[in-house]
Amino acid sequence: MRNKFSLLISLAVGLGCLSQCSTSDHDQISYNRDIRPILNRNCLSCHGGVRQMGGFSLLFEEEAFDTTESGKPAIIPGRPKASEMYRRIVETNPEIRMPPEGNPLSQREIDLISRWIDQGAKWEKHWAYIPPDTAMIAPDPAEIEWAENTIDAFVWQKLEAVGMEPESEATAPNLLRRVSLDLIGLPPSDQLRRAFLEEGTMTYEQVVDSLLAAPQFGEHWASMWLDLARYGDSQGYQKDKLRRHIWRYRDWVIDAFNRNLPFDEFTIEQLAGDLLSEPDKNQILATAFHRNTNTNDEGGTDDEEFRLVAVMDRLNTTYEIWQGVTMSCVQCHSHPYDPFRHKEFYTSMAFFNNTLDQDLTSEFPRMRLFSPAQQREKDKVEAYLKAKRAEQDTVSEVFKEKLARFAAIQEGPVPVMEDFHPDSSRITRVFDRGNWLALTDTVEPDVPEVLPALARDTLVNRLDLAQWLVDPGNPLTARVIVNRFWARIFGNGIVRTVEDFGSQGDPPSHPQLLDWLALRFIHDHDWQLKPLLKDMVMSATYRQSGKVTPEKLERDPYNAFLSRGPRVRLSSEQLRDQALHIAGLLSPKMYGPSVMPYQPDGVWDVIRQVARWETSPGDDAYRRGVYTMIRKTSPYPSHLTFDGTSREFCVSRRIRTNTPLQAMVTLNDPVFTEAAARLAVNMAQHGSEPAEQIQYAYQRALLRPADDYRLRELIDFYEEARTHYQQHPELVEALLNDPEATEPKVVEPEVAALVNVANVILNLDELINK
Amino acid sequence: MKRKLYNELVDTHQRYLTRRHFLQQCTLGLGALALGTIGCNGSDNKDPAEAMLEKISHYVPRARNIIFLHMAGGPSQLELFDYKPTLDRLDGEVCPQSFLEGKRFAFIRGVPSMLGTRVNFNRYGESGAWVSNLLPHFQDAVDDVCFMKAMQTEEFNHAPAQLFMHTGHARSGRPSMGSWVTYGLGSPNANLPGFVVMVSGQSAPSGGKSLWGSGFLPSLYQGVEFRSKGDPVLYVSNPDGIDRELRKKAISTINKINQREFEEVGDPETLTRISQYELAFRMQMTVPEATDISTEPEYIHKMYGTEPGQRSFANNCLLARRLVERGVRFVQLYHRGWDSHGSNDFESLDGGFLKRCHEIDQPMSALLKDLKQRGLLDSTLVVWGGEFGRTPMQENRGGKTNKFRGRDHHKEAFTMWAAGAGIKKGITIGETDEVGYAPVNGKIHVHDLQATILHLLGLNHTKLTYPFQGRDFRLTDVHGELVRDIMA
Repeated sequence: MRNKFSLLISLAVGLGCLSQCSTSDHDQISYNRDIRPILNRNCLSCHGGVRQMGGFSLLFEEEAFDTTESGKPAIIPGRPKASEMYRRIVETNPEIRMPPEGNPLSQREIDLISRWIDQGAKWEKHWAYIPPDTAMIAPDPAEIEWAENTIDAFVWQKLEAVGMEPESEATAPNLLRRVSLDLIGLPPSDQLRRAFLEEGTMTYEQVVDSLLAAPQFGEHWASMWLDLARYGDSQGYQKDKLRRHIWRYRDWVIDAFNRNLPFDEFTIEQLAGDLLSEPDKNQILATAFHRNTNTNDEGGTDDEEFRLVAVMDRLNTTYEIWQGVTMSCVQCHSHPYDPFRHKEFYTSMAFFNNTLDQDLTSEFPRMRLFSPAQQREKDKVEAYLKAKRAEQDTVSEVFKEKLARFAAIQEGPVPVMEDFHPDSSRITRVFDRGNWLALTDTVEPDVPEVLPALARDTLVNRLDLAQWLVDPGNPLTARVIVNRFWARIFGNGIVRTVEDFGSQGDPPSHPQLLDWLALRFIHDHDWQLKPLLKDMVMSATYRQSGKVTPEKLERDPYNAFLSRGPRVRLSSEQLRDQALHIAGLLSPKMYGPSVMPYQPDGVWDVIRQVARWETSPGDDAYRRGVYTMIRKTSPYPSHLTFDGTSREFCVSRRIRTNTPLQAMVTLNDPVFTEAAARLAVNMAQHGSEPAEQIQYAYQRALLRPADDYRLRELIDFYEEARTHYQQHPELVEALLNDPEATEPKVVEPEVAALVNVANVILNLDELINK
Repeated sequence: MKRKLYNELVDTHQRYLTRRHFLQQCTLGLGALALGTIGCNGSDNKDPAEAMLEKISHYVPRARNIIFLHMAGGPSQLELFDYKPTLDRLDGEVCPQSFLEGKRFAFIRGVPSMLGTRVNFNRYGESGAWVSNLLPHFQDAVDDVCFMKAMQTEEFNHAPAQLFMHTGHARSGRPSMGSWVTYGLGSPNANLPGFVVMVSGQSAPSGGKSLWGSGFLPSLYQGVEFRSKGDPVLYVSNPDGIDRELRKKAISTINKINQREFEEVGDPETLTRISQYELAFRMQMTVPEATDISTEPEYIHKMYGTEPGQRSFANNCLLARRLVERGVRFVQLYHRGWDSHGSNDFESLDGGFLKRCHEIDQPMSALLKDLKQRGLLDSTLVVWGGEFGRTPMQENRGGKTNKFRGRDHHKEAFTMWAAGAGIKKGITIGETDEVGYAPVNGKIHVHDLQATILHLLGLNHTKLTYPFQGRDFRLTDVHGELVRDIMA
C-alpha cells in the first residue's frame, strides 16, 4: 500500500501538470485523451475482450453502441441521463453502482463521461492505429537558439510548455564517450579521441559519421536485434542441444547493420526471404530469424504441440517487434483491452503455419550456407586463385596457403524457413480457448481488421505480411521501430513501453516528435537506420549533460521531458567490451562461430550435459560480448547478472537493475581482474610516478584526467595498497606470479598496488554508466 | 506462534520506516521517497537497494521461510506413500480401456499392463500414515507431516511440468515462485540472497535455470545458485593476492569517488550502487560462513548423513537449515534421478529408484527434526514432491515391454507432502482410486498449492501481480483456490 501511495504522489508530481492541463482546459472532450483512460482503468476488465458482462463491451465501436442484454444500448449519444452507462456510474446504491468493486468514479471522471456523451459520444481509434499525419508541419529549429535540429524544436516546445530548461551541453570527453558507446558499443579509438579532444581536427559531426561507418557499429546494434530475434546458440528446452551453425544468422545481422540495409528490406528478408522471387542465399540465411524458436528434444513430447508453440511464438514475436501489439493475449480470447478479436490470432497465425519445420531435433529444413563474411572471403580468395592460375603461377607458398584457406571456408547447415507448396498448404483452425487439441473453424491468413488491409486478398503468404508491415500506410511499424532505436540512444522510449503500443502501454511523451521521426524514417531516409541515428545524436537534446538537479529529479524522474542527457548503466556486452578495450585486450576479430571465453567450472553442471564449455584458445577468449556463446538454459553468467536475456523469447527491453552480484562481477570476474592486471602493466609503462600512472588509466577509461579529489583518493589507495603488499610479499606472489603467463613477469608491490587501482577504476559508477 | 510472527512483522515495518526515514533525511530530501519506490532515472523498478528489504505482506504470515524439496523426474507415489494393495493383485493384468481413452501419455503406447509394487507398507506414528519400507527414517517424522495424495498437474513431460510447478506456467519465461515471493516480501537477511537454489543428484532438473529465473521480474529476484564446488556463489571470492583488508580499502575508495560523482551529477542510482558495493562486501563474508558446514557438530553430521565437500542432497538439506536460520526467505532444493521408466537400471524401480530413496530418506527426516528442535519448524514451511507422479501401469515405450520395472509419467494423481509453519500435523488429505490412477476426493491442483504456499507466507496470490506486456501477471495465472484443509 505504501508503494502504491508513493507511486501516486510521484506520478502526480511528475506528470501532474500534463494530465491536468490537458483536460479541463478543453471544452471539446476527446475520447482518446479523456475517456479511454477512465474506461481502461475501471470498465474493460468486465466490459472488454475477455468478458462482456450484461452484453456490453467497450472494445469496439459497434459493440459499445450496440443493444445490450437489457434490450437497449448503454450509451445513447447526446443523452447522458438516458444512457444506462451514465446512470450506473452515478448510482448511489452500491449494489447497482458501477464499477461494482472499489471506489466509485470521481466527480471529474463522471463529469467527463457525461460531457462526452452529451457531445455525441464520438468514438476514436486508439492513437497508434491512426497513421501519422503526413501533412504535419514540424516546428522550425532555426527559430530556437538552443536547437540543433528538428528533434530539438519538438523537445523545446514541450519544455516550454512545462516550464523547464534544458541542461548545458555535456563536456567534450563525456559527449565523445557517450556517443561512441551509443553508436558502436565501445569507447572511441585513440585516434578518434585525439582528433576530437586534443588536435581539434574533427568536428562532432565528423566523429558521428566516422562512428556510423565503423565496422563495430553492426556488432553493437546486432546485440539489440538479437534480443528481439531470440537468437542463441542452442535449441532451448530440456536438452538444449547446441545449434552449431546458427551463428551465420548472427553474422547476417551484423553485416546488415554495417551495410545499412534499409529496414524495409531488412524486414522482408528476415520474415520472407525464402518467398522472394529467385532469392539469393543471403536472403535465405536471413529467414533463420524465425528459426531461432526453441526446439523441444525431450523424450515423450509431442512434436505437433511444440511445432505449434514455435509457430505461435513467430506470430507473437513478429507483432511485438514490428507492431508493438501483444498478440499473445488473443490466443485464448479477444484482447482484453485492444481491438483484436480471438479469431484474428488464428488468421494472423495462418501466415506462419505453413512451414515445413516440425520441432525435429535435426532442425529440418536446413540449407547449407556461407555467412556473408565467408562468402566475401571465398570470392576474394577465389579471384586470387583464378588470376594466379591464369598466370600459371600455382606453386608459390602464398598460392598454397590461399588454396588451403579456400578449402577451409565451409558452408554450414542453417535452419531456414520453407513453405509447403500453396497446393498442399497446412490448414489453420481456431483453437477453442487457445487449446490446440480443441480445433474449431478453418481460417485463411489475414491481418487484424483494425489495421490497414493487405494489398491483395487471395493466396497470401508470409511475403504479403512482410510487405504489409513495411508499407508506408502501416500506422505502427515506423513508429514502433524508431521508438526502439530512440530508447537505446536516450535510455527510454518516447513510448516507454517499447513493446506495447496498445492502450495498456504508455502514451507517447512527444507524440508529434514520434510521428515526425517515423515519417522522416520512411520518406526522407528511405528506411535507413544510420541517418535516423545521426538525427538523434546530432540533436542538442542528446548532447545535454546527464547532470540532474534534485528539483528536476522530483519533477521528472524518468526524464520524460528530455531536460537532461541520457545517463544509464551500460549493457552486459558494453561493460565487458569496455573493460577489455581499456586494457588493450579486446580482440578486433569480427564474425565467425560463437566463442567461449573463460567461465567458472561447473556452470553447465546443472543443465543437460550434451555439450561442454571449453575455453576458446588465444584471442577468441577476448572477443566482443556479441560473439559469446549463449546456451539458452544457461547463458553466460555475467551476461545474466547484468540483465542480459536468455534468448528463449523475444525481449524488447532489458530491465536495468543494480545489485550486489553485479558488484561481485566487476570486482572478481576474471574478465575484469585480467583487464585490471593488464591495465596495471600498461600504467607502469606509461609513467614512473603513481600520479602519472593513475592519470594514464583514468584518462584511458574516461577520456578525461581525474580531478584533484579523485586523483588524491586513488593515490592514497595506491599507497595503502603498496604498503600492504610490502608487508605481505606472499600476496604479491599470489597476485602477479601466474605460472601460466608467458610474458615477463614483474612481481613487485608497486605493480600489485596498480592492479588494485586499476580494479577500482573499472568499478567506478562513472564508468559503469554512459 | 501467530503472535510471535505478528510482532516480527511490526518490527519489520518499523525498521522499514526507519530506513525510509533515513533515506529521506540524509540523501535526497522528499523526492527520494517517491523515487525509491518507483525507480530513478531510467530504472524501471523500485530502488533495488530497497527492493530486497522486507516488505509488508498482505496479511499476517504463518510462515516466514520456505524450503521446497523438489524431486526432479517424478518419484513414484505408489512405491512410497499411496498404498494400493489392489494394484499389487492386478500385477500383469491388461490395463482397463477406461484409463486410456482420451488420455495422453509421454511414452505409453497401445495397451499397457498394470504394475504391482514390490514394497511393504505399514502405518506409522499416532496419525497412522502409510509409508513404505523404502523410507525407514521418514517413518518417524509422519506426525509432523501433512500428506496430499491427490495432487494434480497439467503437464506430463518433465521440463513443462517442472516449470508448471515452479512458475505456474508450462513454458519458460515466467518468474519462479521464489522470485515472486522475494519480489513480494523481500528477505529478512539483506546480507544473503533472498532466494537460494541448490541442486544435487545426477545431471540437472529438466527445466534448466528457467526454474529459478525471474522471468519478466527484475533479475534481482532470480534464484541465486549455491554451488557445491568452487565459489559457493559465483565471483564471491576475491582474486588470489587480494585479501579482505585490501578489498575493504578498494570499496571504500570506489564509494568515496562514487559519492563525489553523485554530488556532481545527482543520479540516485549512484547512491544505490554505493550501497550495493557495501552489501557485496558483506556478502563476501556471510556467504562462505553460511555455506561452511564443516563447523557443524558431529551429531548433526550423523543425523543428516552429511560429508563436507560433497555434492549431495544431505549436504543441501543441512545448508537449507543453515540458510533458513540466517533468514533466507526461499530455499529451493532439486534432487534429480527419479524418472523410473524401467528403460535401464538407473531408471528402474528396482535400481536407481531405491538409491534415490536412500539418498533422501535420512536427510529430509533429519531436516524436519532439526528444524523442530531449533523451533524453526514453526516459522518454516517445508514442501516435498516431484513435478508429477507415476502411472499404475508399466511403461511400454514403442509398444514393447521394458527390460526393467518402471512406470510412465502421470499427471492425474500424485503425492506431495508439506510440514511446518501453518500446516496441519499428522493428516492425509485426498484419496485416489483402488489403483492410484485418479483422485477420488481431496484433489489439489498445482495452482491451488501455489496459492496456498503464498497465502501461508502472507501473500494473496490474486494480488501479487506484475504488469508485463499489457496485463498483470501472477504466479497462479487466473486460477488457484486456497486449500484450507491443509492449513492449521
